[in-house]
Amino acid sequence: MKLSNRRIQRHRRLQLPMTSMIDVVFLLLIFFLTTASFVPTERDLESSMRVQASRATASDFQPAVVDVVPGRSGFVYRLGQRELDDPDQLVDLLARFENKAQGAFVRVSDRAPFLMAAAAVQACKTAGFASVSYIPLGEEP
Amino acid sequence: MRLSKHRRATIAEMDMTPMIDIVLLLIIFFMTVTQVSELNRERLELPRLAGWEDQKQTTMTINVDAAGQVLVSGNAMSVAQLLTLVSVELAKLGDDPQRMTVVLRADQRGDCRTVNQIVNALGRMQISRLRIAVQVPA
Repeated sequence: MKLSNRRIQRHRRLQLPMTSMIDVVFLLLIFFLTTASFVPTERDLESSMRVQASRATASDFQPAVVDVVPGRSGFVYRLGQRELDDPDQLVDLLARFENKAQGAFVRVSDRAPFLMAAAAVQACKTAGFASVSYIPLGEEP
Repeated sequence: MRLSKHRRATIAEMDMTPMIDIVLLLIIFFMTVTQVSELNRERLELPRLAGWEDQKQTTMTINVDAAGQVLVSGNAMSVAQLLTLVSVELAKLGDDPQRMTVVLRADQRGDCRTVNQIVNALGRMQISRLRIAVQVPA
């Protein structure tokens, strides 16, 4: 008496139809290949930036005020009496300030390139100032 | 007499397993690196600077292109119209300027005229949380 049909089962192979899955997978791949765009990483330059609508008063000039204004040859970073065109030199000078907890001020002329304004804020942060205030200067300082 | 040899039909089978593995890996790769495009981010040439901290969730993103045009969520507008929009967003936050965080994405090729106008206007509205978006150099 034959109780089990083991012999028949041994030869039966289970086959999954892969065609439809591969179709869908390829469609997904083509979709992601065509729609993917690699965007550059963005960061924030300053999170504690304070907006000052009014012009800085004499008391605001402590401890560090960086002006982005027209100089003798194009726009420059002016720190005190010194005029610089290199952000790295600006960082070196700003790093010498001791009272960094009080923050720094960046005053920007309307006609100044935005790159220089952003670089000035970056220099203040890199030099270690706790906060940086952005002050619009208008047309001319 | 047996004239022809009985040949069993052979079926050519490709081994699909490695291909499926690679394709699935590619899909996972693209799914993870693809960022869902944000409508409020215009294609601008941001200043290439190191920045200070990673971007966080913001209330509003203001784009300023190289020509000084203000763009918010793909719509070009004047500074006056922008202020109306800011007022609406501010009202949603219970008119508390301290809760409002604005990210300014300005093209590095432009000047600061429009940026200064925006900063002045935000200052008048007591909004003090302003961030400048920069592009991390490669």
